[in-house]
Amino acid sequence: MKIKRILIANRGEIAVRIIKTAHKMNIETVAVRTSVEPNAMFLSQADVVYDNTEDTSEIPVFLNIEKLIEIAVKTKSDAVHPGYGFLAENAYFAQKCIDNKIVFIGPSPDAIYKIGNKTVARKIAQATGIPMAMGSEGNISDEEEAVSIAEKIGYPVIIKAASGGGGRGMRIVRKPEEMEKMFIIASKEAEKAFNDPSVFIEKYIENPKHIEFQILGDTKGNIIHLGERECSIQRKHQKLLEEAPSGALSEKLRKTMGRIAVQIASAVNYYSAGTVEFLLDSDKNFYFMEMNTRIQVEHPVTEIVTGIDLIEQQIRIAMGEALKYRQEDIKLKGWAIECRINAEDVQAGFAPDPGKIEKLHLPSDSWVRIDTGVQAGSAIVPSYDSMIAKLIVKGKDRKDALKNCKLALDKVWIKGTKTTLPFFRMLVRNPKFIDGDFTTAFIEKDLEKNYNSSEYEEMLAAWLATKLFIEENFTDKSINDDNEKGKEMSPWLLNKRINQF
Amino acid sequence: MPTSKPGIKKLYALSSENKRFCFPQPLKHSIRIGKREYEVKLKSDDKYGTYILWKNRKYPVEVVSSRQNRYEILFNDISYTFTVETPFSMQRMKVINAARGKTEKETLKAPMPGKIIDVLVREGSNVLRGEPLVILEAMKMQNEIQSPVNGQIIKVLAKPNSNVMKDDILVEIKVE
Repeated sequence: MKIKRILIANRGEIAVRIIKTAHKMNIETVAVRTSVEPNAMFLSQADVVYDNTEDTSEIPVFLNIEKLIEIAVKTKSDAVHPGYGFLAENAYFAQKCIDNKIVFIGPSPDAIYKIGNKTVARKIAQATGIPMAMGSEGNISDEEEAVSIAEKIGYPVIIKAASGGGGRGMRIVRKPEEMEKMFIIASKEAEKAFNDPSVFIEKYIENPKHIEFQILGDTKGNIIHLGERECSIQRKHQKLLEEAPSGALSEKLRKTMGRIAVQIASAVNYYSAGTVEFLLDSDKNFYFMEMNTRIQVEHPVTEIVTGIDLIEQQIRIAMGEALKYRQEDIKLKGWAIECRINAEDVQAGFAPDPGKIEKLHLPSDSWVRIDTGVQAGSAIVPSYDSMIAKLIVKGKDRKDALKNCKLALDKVWIKGTKTTLPFFRMLVRNPKFIDGDFTTAFIEKDLEKNYNSSEYEEMLAAWLATKLFIEENFTDKSINDDNEKGKEMSPWLLNKRINQF
Repeated sequence: MPTSKPGIKKLYALSSENKRFCFPQPLKHSIRIGKREYEVKLKSDDKYGTYILWKNRKYPVEVVSSRQNRYEILFNDISYTFTVETPFSMQRMKVINAARGKTEKETLKAPMPGKIIDVLVREGSNVLRGEPLVILEAMKMQNEIQSPVNGQIIKVLAKPNSNVMKDDILVEIKVE
């Protein structure tokens, strides 16, 4: 069965990414215009734009199942791509699409439910003999039960949301006294984020590496893996930089972990693209953590080292095609690194810094790939994630990729919000990072500062402050009378004033 | 435009880490490194916005905020805060600081705009450094706002389910 028109139930860079592959395959796309970002970049690239700006509902349309189905029907879309986040891992949404004779570009509702729910996934993994951190049998009902399980498996433990993902609803507990507070926080956060307050407990593996395997499966029962991604550079369980492959894996370990990743996917008859996440400890023991039943933010690094377009594979699988690749066809070539350039204040603990992107220049070298959903003039709005662009660089090996990454980072020019650029510019020069000596605790434990600045840079900034002071205080006519209201003034007004000098 | 003031021969920019940068007044458009003077140019155009040109390289700059003599400058995407002082105000500041002694009240401010999900302490609570005091939700993440010091809560201004702006005071702590 051929897909002719895809409704993209998402926004931002992933919407742009899906449109790109759909067009390559001569498939039309439908995008949804919202009042929050009526001029978003992805809208200009879709074939059909459904105007939903009149929708005044509290729930964003990308989370509104009924509405999305209605839009799909109205726009005669025969398939829906959910992207990541929003409803990407919602089994009910996938089922609703099927009920309305719309192809859901993703796994079966049954697989989403089983493997997406972490407690169910744990049971499946346990039954198939997959290595896993010790933990609760299922969900836990209160902090007392949590304490009693923690006593058994030993502190520290981690509380996780059963329906979780993306680091939300997770809390580490090191002492019984902290349990009550953390249990409540995790459960509340889980309810808010996933509409399901249930949580479970696992032994917390200290200072592991986060290694995940890309899976592809078709509806004929073929399942392969596309190698691993190294995603240990995280803060608050949110990934910042990803690589493929990982320097921590030998060819033998890659084979073992890959085989087990495929085994987990097979246990739920998985099809489409998916990701099996593992923790790897310092003795190279690995533990199954969870499986994500969607395309990942960091999928481009796998695409670069395998040469396979994962969105295209998702669409082909959804059309019922058999995988063209067998496991032995998959060869990893070169090295890829992805930096997530977000609108965040690195100096304030990566706090979001939404705002309007005033200027945006990104490198266009042949060894750089940029996935972005914004352009100069776009706004990073507080209601969505803080992603500006993914800077993906390749090299023939890790050293080469790092060298290219350094060059590319210096070419990025963004004005309008604070960004994670200072963090990456520091990271690619950090000796431990360069040596591959880092774990998920790297940002919190190994770094004194999340950025580096040279003496000269600070001096030049001081020079500018002094210049402004002189202009404002020592000139005959104060440049602006609204100087007193400095605090309320937009930096862009100040910017204009600099231009007058 | 006259940019000098008679009598003041130099100005100091003090960083938040108390580093002192001294510049001659009137300000030169160059900075000396070792024996060489390097030209500093402040420029602006449509393509790049405002930038500083130094040693043949463009650095993006921005004034994030300016309040009296206090400036937050974004230079090459890194933020620096300076207070600019004249030799006279510098002297006066030293005297005032010596008289006042060390501050012993710590105010905890919202690091970002968001919604207060929970307040975990009340007035009179004793808290330890690093202890979570307030849960603030911003951009779909719940953030623990932790106590920067050991001390006692003297005032709680954060209210659950209320929205706060960046830098709104959440809690005041008496430092112990």
